[in-house]
Amino acid sequence: MSMIEFHSVSKGYNGRTVIDTLCLKIEAGERVVLLGPSGCGKSTVLHLIAGLVTPDSGHILFDGELVATNGTNLREPAQRGIGMVFQDLALWPHMSVAENIEFGLRAKRIQKSERQQRVREMIDLVRLGDDMNSKPGTLSGGEQQRVALARALALAPSIVLMDEPLSSLDGALNVQMREEILRLHSDLKFTLVYVTHSRDEAKALGTRTLYLKQGTYCTENKWTP
Amino acid sequence: MQKRLTLATAALLFLAIGLLPVLAMVAKTFYVGDELSLKIYQGLLASSKQQAVLMGHSLSLSLLTTVFATMVGMPLGVLLGKTDLPLRRSFTVLFTVPLLMPPYVLAVAWFAVLGKEGLIGHSLPDSGSALLSSWLFGLPGCTWVLFTAFLSIVILLTMVYLGAVNPRLEEAGRLVSRWPSVLRHITLPLIAPAILFAAVLVFLLTLGEVGVPTFLRYPVYPVETLTQFAAFYDFGAATAATVPLLVITLLILGLEYRCLHKRVLSLSAAPPGARRGRIELGPWRLPILGIVSGLAVVIVALPLSVLVVESASISAYVDAFSRASDSIVRSLAFSVIGATLLTVLGFFCGYLIHGRALSLWRGVDVLGLFLFTLPGTVIGIGLIGLWNTPITNVIYGTSAIIILGYLVQYTALPMRITAAILGHIPRSLEQAAELTGASWFMILWHIVVPLAKRGLIAAWLISYIFCLRDLGISMVVYPPGSDTLPVRIFTLMANGAPSLIAALCVILIVVTLLPLAIFGFWLRPGSNAR
Repeated sequence: MSMIEFHSVSKGYNGRTVIDTLCLKIEAGERVVLLGPSGCGKSTVLHLIAGLVTPDSGHILFDGELVATNGTNLREPAQRGIGMVFQDLALWPHMSVAENIEFGLRAKRIQKSERQQRVREMIDLVRLGDDMNSKPGTLSGGEQQRVALARALALAPSIVLMDEPLSSLDGALNVQMREEILRLHSDLKFTLVYVTHSRDEAKALGTRTLYLKQGTYCTENKWTP
Repeated sequence: MQKRLTLATAALLFLAIGLLPVLAMVAKTFYVGDELSLKIYQGLLASSKQQAVLMGHSLSLSLLTTVFATMVGMPLGVLLGKTDLPLRRSFTVLFTVPLLMPPYVLAVAWFAVLGKEGLIGHSLPDSGSALLSSWLFGLPGCTWVLFTAFLSIVILLTMVYLGAVNPRLEEAGRLVSRWPSVLRHITLPLIAPAILFAAVLVFLLTLGEVGVPTFLRYPVYPVETLTQFAAFYDFGAATAATVPLLVITLLILGLEYRCLHKRVLSLSAAPPGARRGRIELGPWRLPILGIVSGLAVVIVALPLSVLVVESASISAYVDAFSRASDSIVRSLAFSVIGATLLTVLGFFCGYLIHGRALSLWRGVDVLGLFLFTLPGTVIGIGLIGLWNTPITNVIYGTSAIIILGYLVQYTALPMRITAAILGHIPRSLEQAAELTGASWFMILWHIVVPLAKRGLIAAWLISYIFCLRDLGISMVVYPPGSDTLPVRIFTLMANGAPSLIAALCVILIVVTLLPLAIFGFWLRPGSNAR
């Protein structure tokens, strides 16, 4: 039984098929990289896993349990135990760093003292420094990445999705953040599904790479960690 | 579920309060007593010659106003929105001022300028002042006043949609051509649907206008509707007389929806935050500044200054407050309540339209625009037809009917503003919150509303202004003893002293602009409230 399974999943927008009968299995603790050109449906796969979009046809299973099928989401995004780092990071600009990380904990009605402790832990985990009350807009690109990571990990998700999170970072910082992601994965043992169109990133981060083309994957590579 | 239920409730509420009065009104025209009959339409046809003349006047007035407003407004919009003309922001505010007040206030102001005893009329020889006066009290005068009232619609929409054009498209053009050519071949064709949409709005708002033609004694069709209702209290004839206006509005909006709507909406897809190119006027900067300043003085500063000068006596203001203080308080209260309810309803409807969360969204969108452009008197008559029953007297017999009228006519404003603002908030910000398990209301309260705060304040302000300046609905539906300030001024205009009317108009302008000034100060650059 795999952690995430896609069975002939298809998804289209405005009459254009983006994902075409995709079959996919991802095991617990794996680091799977989805690689492919723009518009091939990589981000849509992440959105389907997260439950942010619904498959037009096919089934999606988590740990053998059906979570989405033929146009219906059976499990809401928030009930899937997923953390996600968006391509544009999607940090809420009106909230401080701490508030960004804390928001999910508040939504789960966790007590304030526990929330504050968890925020502190997350900030330490991603090595963010002490500037918890700054707004995201005042931080550097690397710091923003760390806030996005901390927010995604705050609820201890079993699956973390990353949608080209490092695409805006330059060479040195990009390499540094890759190492950071590998360290976090090693410490927290989550399942990572990572979207990129950089072969270097794919090779550095994935234990397995799926090359997507026109909505379905055509080749698969396994990298030796 | 929470989201769908709330949006469905808001949409159905708006559809019910907006559509039912119109349907009830149309249905009633087919009944005389309890009998199905076409008698009302036979009466309408019997006076068809007179009706045709009035409709001809209305259409001429609307067409002329639209042509002038578009011809002047579009270049002004380009100058203020796209060039390095000095004082652009000040000019934008100045040209917008006339839109913030009931158009008949402008008619009063222009009367103080061009009337026989007015600033200019007074200084001319008798034959000249008589000619000017006859010009004012007729089609040219009505066209001029409504042109100054609605010019800013074209200016503002041109500016807004210029800002929505993807700068990459212009940059690609500038690699091979100069600005005038880029404007002519790329920018203006891209925003042409929006300019045509602005023209449609001006046309329909002019078509439904009653205050200016009544004051300037130019017989137009909507005044006939009002006369049937107010002077003869012939509800059947008044209702039947509204049907042609209803049909024309529907036809024009149908055309707009079919030909322009998608193209106008697609304009808002430009990437937010992109750096936009500004046209440098070079040696033309000062001459153009002179022309724009001259226009601002003639169109806005002159009539309003004369109005202020005419009212400038303590006795006029004492008289104004003694005669209308109750109306001022009522107007303020109704407008604050109306704007607040409009902002809430408009927010949910705007959210629905932006996200297309339910298939109802298109109906809500179309109905909003239709009701906004429908003459206020027609909506008022529809409201009476629906709510004037013993069971619903708690609404019809109280000021609630005025607030309801505001909700029917003006929901389109906060709805469109919300939809536009939400378009600038990346969807991923909400999605990130969804993944945490936050409820939809929590996401709205903590993520969407704070990010859309400035837009929502703008929606409230615009709703407030439109509620405060409303004449069409208020005049038809206000219960005894509950008239608003615009209605009171309109009533007093028939026999009140010019200084009293001028003072009341100035009070109305101040009451309208006061919250704008407060919010402007609160949200000024550098303020913590931003």
